[in-house]
Amino acid sequence: MGAYIIRRLLYVIPIVIGVSLLLFLLFNYLGKDPALVMAGKHATPERIAEIRTELGLDRPILVQFGDYLRQVATFDFGRSFSNRQLISDIIWNGMWPSLSLALPAFSMTLMMSITIALMVAYFRGRALDRIIVILCVMGMSIPSLAFILFGQYFLAYKLPEYIGIELFPISGYDMSFPWPYVILPAIIWVSVSLGTDVRFFRTAILDETHQDYVRTARAKGLSEQVVFFKHVLKNSMIPILTYVVIQIPFLIMGTLLLENFFGIPGLGSILIDALNTEDLPVIKAVATISCLFLIAGTLMTDILYSVVDPRVSLK
Amino acid sequence: MNRILNRNLICGTVLVLALGIASCTKKGGSSGSRELNLTSSAKIKGLDPIQAGDLYAGRQVANAYEPLFQYHYLKRPYELIPALAESMPTFESSSGSAASTVLKVRLKRAVLFQDDECFKASNGKGRELTADDIVYSFMRLADRKENAEGWWIFDGKIKGLNEWRDATPAGKNGDYSAKIEGLKALDRYTVRIELTKPNNQFLYYLAMPFTSIVPKEAVEHYGADFLRNPVGTGPFKLVREESNLNSKLVWVRNPTYRQEMYPTEGEPDDKAKGLLEDAGKQLPLVDKMIVQVIPEDQPRWLNFQSGKLDLTGIPKDNFDSTISADMDLNAEMMKKGIVLHKAPNLDVTYTSFNMEDPIVGKNKWLRKAMSLAYDINPVIKLFYNGRAIPAQSPIPPGVFGYSSQYRNPNVDYNIEKAKEFLAKAGYPGGKGLGTITLLGLSTSQARQQSEYFVNSMSKIGINVVVKAFTWPDFLKNMNDKKGQMWGLAWGADYPDAENFLQLFYGKNKAPGPNNANYVNSDYDRLYKEMLNLQNGEKRLEVIKKMVKIVEDDVPWVFGTHRIGFTLAQPWLRNYKVIEFDHNQEKYLNIDVARRSQGL
Repeated sequence: MGAYIIRRLLYVIPIVIGVSLLLFLLFNYLGKDPALVMAGKHATPERIAEIRTELGLDRPILVQFGDYLRQVATFDFGRSFSNRQLISDIIWNGMWPSLSLALPAFSMTLMMSITIALMVAYFRGRALDRIIVILCVMGMSIPSLAFILFGQYFLAYKLPEYIGIELFPISGYDMSFPWPYVILPAIIWVSVSLGTDVRFFRTAILDETHQDYVRTARAKGLSEQVVFFKHVLKNSMIPILTYVVIQIPFLIMGTLLLENFFGIPGLGSILIDALNTEDLPVIKAVATISCLFLIAGTLMTDILYSVVDPRVSLK
Repeated sequence: MNRILNRNLICGTVLVLALGIASCTKKGGSSGSRELNLTSSAKIKGLDPIQAGDLYAGRQVANAYEPLFQYHYLKRPYELIPALAESMPTFESSSGSAASTVLKVRLKRAVLFQDDECFKASNGKGRELTADDIVYSFMRLADRKENAEGWWIFDGKIKGLNEWRDATPAGKNGDYSAKIEGLKALDRYTVRIELTKPNNQFLYYLAMPFTSIVPKEAVEHYGADFLRNPVGTGPFKLVREESNLNSKLVWVRNPTYRQEMYPTEGEPDDKAKGLLEDAGKQLPLVDKMIVQVIPEDQPRWLNFQSGKLDLTGIPKDNFDSTISADMDLNAEMMKKGIVLHKAPNLDVTYTSFNMEDPIVGKNKWLRKAMSLAYDINPVIKLFYNGRAIPAQSPIPPGVFGYSSQYRNPNVDYNIEKAKEFLAKAGYPGGKGLGTITLLGLSTSQARQQSEYFVNSMSKIGINVVVKAFTWPDFLKNMNDKKGQMWGLAWGADYPDAENFLQLFYGKNKAPGPNNANYVNSDYDRLYKEMLNLQNGEKRLEVIKKMVKIVEDDVPWVFGTHRIGFTLAQPWLRNYKVIEFDHNQEKYLNIDVARRSQGL
């Protein structure tokens, strides 16, 4: 296992360099001129040239790329164009609000969707299965914005009129104790995600129930519960694992709509602001970090495969 | 059911219940503190005055910092009064010149910067404001390394300042010890400013947030983090540990704020409205202010309805459920005691022609035809809920030079006349014209308004294609003149007709504010003449001539002057609509007893 991990980490190096090269070319040459963006609409050509020098954009391309690789290696992406804050601070400060919402919401979604998927797969073809599948399809058909608007209006605003207690704040965030502010957004996140996840997990579990070994286990006289929860569940973990683990790196991005509507100062809304104001260093940094997290996510997936399925060799 | 399922269900339920209980609060009125709860509908990009380029940052900057002058809170028409200055200065002639280009501004005494760790010499105690701080702050606005958003207001205006700026080597800060001919501290409390030429609007610039005064110690101490660590002379002090520019700013009363009292006079009906009840009291009137950043309409609206915000605008989608047909509050809102404030904005919306375009820019009949084919009244109803009046000229109501009697013949919707003028333009029924490109924003409302424009032009046979962009891309394409028309709005920086008439001055072509790239030598000559006149008969005469030239040449399809509708909670005192509301919060007060009753 150790050798495998080291080997995979070494493979990651050329991947990171390749991705970095693509991002570098995209932002420095194919996209907008960073000096023009930073100079603003009233800048003279002389001022733009000065800014190009200040940003090091007049240096040879290899030197600039080397500088960018250093930024990637040290997570030091300089300062934001719009508010001059250190980008590493922006990402660090924005990451935690996003995670304070995303982690509990993701965990709740995972627990509930696996539970429900197991239930419906176990009772496949029966009324419970059909009802839940219909509900899942309905949930998938409703736009997430509708969940947000209705959830905020009825649960945060209207409900206190009937019960005399405010269960959820309408919006806001407290960095020192965020939990009361993320519960309603988390519930909405779960509601939005449940339909898709339940259907996917149900399919993955049902696929396994049609395998030969399941028929063999039943033929040997094992109870349906043992067949299901001991054998089928474990074997259906590979596609579930892939689906789940690949989402983890993106949890730090949070979700833009929820963050905007509930006033959570997370990375999702920071990125959208950066896109609207053409804050190129922030956009570049977030794109870079997202790629790195994705690479880390796929590595984690590969390693976890061997844990759930001994057939998978790490050689 | 299986152990796994049971365990998952129990874990999930416990988690939800625990977090739900943690978030419970009793519904009802809030605490008995004199605390303002306000909102910003956009994130605050920073609290450095020289970068306060949008109204959201400008409002927050004004809580911590002060410029030399401010607007009288209650008097209308708007009147400049001293803020950090001791009195209103007058322009004098400089030696060797008859032109009145010199201002001597005397500062108030004993004005202190707030206590802060940056004042090492006095162990963190804020020191007194001096004339050197004025010189430093204005030089900083000109410093190329700072890349100040507000530089445009001093660019070319103060003698020697541009030269100082240009002499700085690239990438380095300016030499703040250098002497500038037009910017000097004559003594501890007197600043001398000499302009390059007479400028009657200059005092207005000295009331803008860009020109607020900052201490050198704070700039040097905090460096690039100065944006988040304001240290000013203003009425409020930021509670940094509780504040985050992306979500919430918490301000408390500045204990060392100078002596400034609530005004004792205003408009004739201000007393009846209760706006003079706090006359003569020391400002600010509240102890604490929380500004929540809420970009979306729904949460802002719901927070106001729950009593958690003291002030809000009315989102378009909630207008009909709030305002009755006679444009007043409906019964339900009145029952809650909510107060509606209405006042015209000092702004103008318009669709500009690119006067350098060979087709629309060179064909006056075409422009007249398009202007007459555009009916602004459905726009006012659909997109502004009736909260606007048709604009006849660029000058809005409330600004000297506006005339409620004036009617622009190109604004009177008339399809038949439009078709006639289109034929005179050489394109009968739109034949041979080709496609006109309209640049717009990609927001849903902007797209809808662009769609309406396209439909209007199609009625006379003109085919318009819309290109939608985000705001930065829109600005870039407009300044690069990559379109034939574009929709915009202009809000007053100061209450003078010059701020609107400069939008047609030839030297202000893109990337300046003359987005139409309109050039007319007669207009330019009258503009320069108007600059040197004080408000009065003569100036009015000149303004009328300028408006007539714009009417004749049709560089714009005029839109609207918008009317602001603001809702205030019944416990909010002293609220009065003020266009230049940078430092309004210091005048506001809370009726604590009324607030504790809730809505």
